[in-house]
Amino acid sequence: MNCQACTERIAELADQKLDRETEALVRSHLDGCESCRREFDELSRLIASLDALPSPAPSPALRAKVMGSIESEKLTLRMESEWSERMRSAAPGRPARGASWIQVLVSGLGVAALVVLGFVLGERNATQHQLADLRVRVDTMGQLVEQSVLQKRTAGDRLETVLTAARTTQPDERLIDGLINSLAFDPSVNVRLNALSALYSHADQEVVKAGVLACLPRESNPLVQISMIDFLVAAKAREASPELRKLSLDTNANGDVRDSARRAIDLL
Amino acid sequence: MPSVPAEIPVLMRPAGIESPARRSVDTLPPLSDHDLMLAVRDGDLDSMGELFERHHGPLFGYLSKLTGNRTAAEDIAQVVFQRMIKYRHTYRDEGKFTAWMYHLARRCASDHFRKASSAPLAVDPSDLEEHADQSIGADQSAQTRDDHELLRTALGRLDRDDREVLLLSRLQELSFAEVASVLECSVGAARVRAHRALRALRDSYFQIQKENLT
Repeated sequence: MNCQACTERIAELADQKLDRETEALVRSHLDGCESCRREFDELSRLIASLDALPSPAPSPALRAKVMGSIESEKLTLRMESEWSERMRSAAPGRPARGASWIQVLVSGLGVAALVVLGFVLGERNATQHQLADLRVRVDTMGQLVEQSVLQKRTAGDRLETVLTAARTTQPDERLIDGLINSLAFDPSVNVRLNALSALYSHADQEVVKAGVLACLPRESNPLVQISMIDFLVAAKAREASPELRKLSLDTNANGDVRDSARRAIDLL
Repeated sequence: MPSVPAEIPVLMRPAGIESPARRSVDTLPPLSDHDLMLAVRDGDLDSMGELFERHHGPLFGYLSKLTGNRTAAEDIAQVVFQRMIKYRHTYRDEGKFTAWMYHLARRCASDHFRKASSAPLAVDPSDLEEHADQSIGADQSAQTRDDHELLRTALGRLDRDDREVLLLSRLQELSFAEVASVLECSVGAARVRAHRALRALRDSYFQIQKENLT
């Protein structure tokens, strides 16, 4: 064994990971080579120091973020599964009129599907191409939920994301989807209100109106509910009338919310 | 120490449904990392939680020493686990989990360094202090503390490639076969690179020692 082959094995010798035969060769070389022995001593000490070097511990935020990602992925899987189920139940050959697809989508996917629905409203026939497109968009929704809601640790972080989105002068479709998702899923009232506020600049877009309208039934906070109603009035979303009527008659709803819904119906 | 925010929804597993990891704790020998990752690949995402518990500490240690920045290390570690979830379908039957994880970590760290080179991240000096503080036990001498700092400085001065191979082969206790798999090279090349890196660290260590004396 030459010097190079010997010194390359020093780490493994120190770790006692060499097989007997190789170890015997290395030790034999070390016995007869002072230079390699010196190198072995130095590197062994260094290895021991390296192994003793303590590692810092991550903050608890890492666990929260990763667990959030796992839950988000589970949510996406669940949505995909439900979506596939709906696709199967809406078998080919069935009359593919817009209204029947609305029922299928609304019952199956809730908010995310309704947001997507904005893209297909007005289409009378649901072609295979459109269905494939919808599936892709639902996948994207899951990712957006993950990115806009679950990955950010604190409400402050998420609020900052929403405010940054609001300052964007030319938001793309993905950004608007993100804002709608924040409005739909973010657990913080403050974040939801700011997401809604950011959507005002785009109230003329059908997808935004449909998104806010879709979020209204699942919203439980009166302040956000009233703000959504105001938004729908400002956006002249006449299609919101049935939902507003339902809300105005809902005895479980807050009195101010019911009043707002009634006023909105008159205004629309 | 900041607490886990209450608004992050961490769903509980419904009663009666147990993941392989949980089941193993109660009745069976613990599943291997490989088995857990195969379960994740097949849709049991709860097993990813167990893999996180087993590996996030060493992974974070590797990344914090590689980057010298706790915040960056935490961000990269998060991305690594997210990529594991996202690319779980690419995990192979004959795969070795730790090699796969560090392979992803290496890619994520490269992305970080590429971005950082175009827009350098500000390093919070408190990161380094905190890092140092955590390493000091009550019974550790000032000499040991100095040695650790010296060694960290020497590690920091190494080329990233050298630092990477050293961290993988020494601190993560991967075999040279696993290091070779992570670095996408032969076992012999991994061994040679690790040895060269060790010598480079020694030279850097002595150089800093000399600088400190003068």
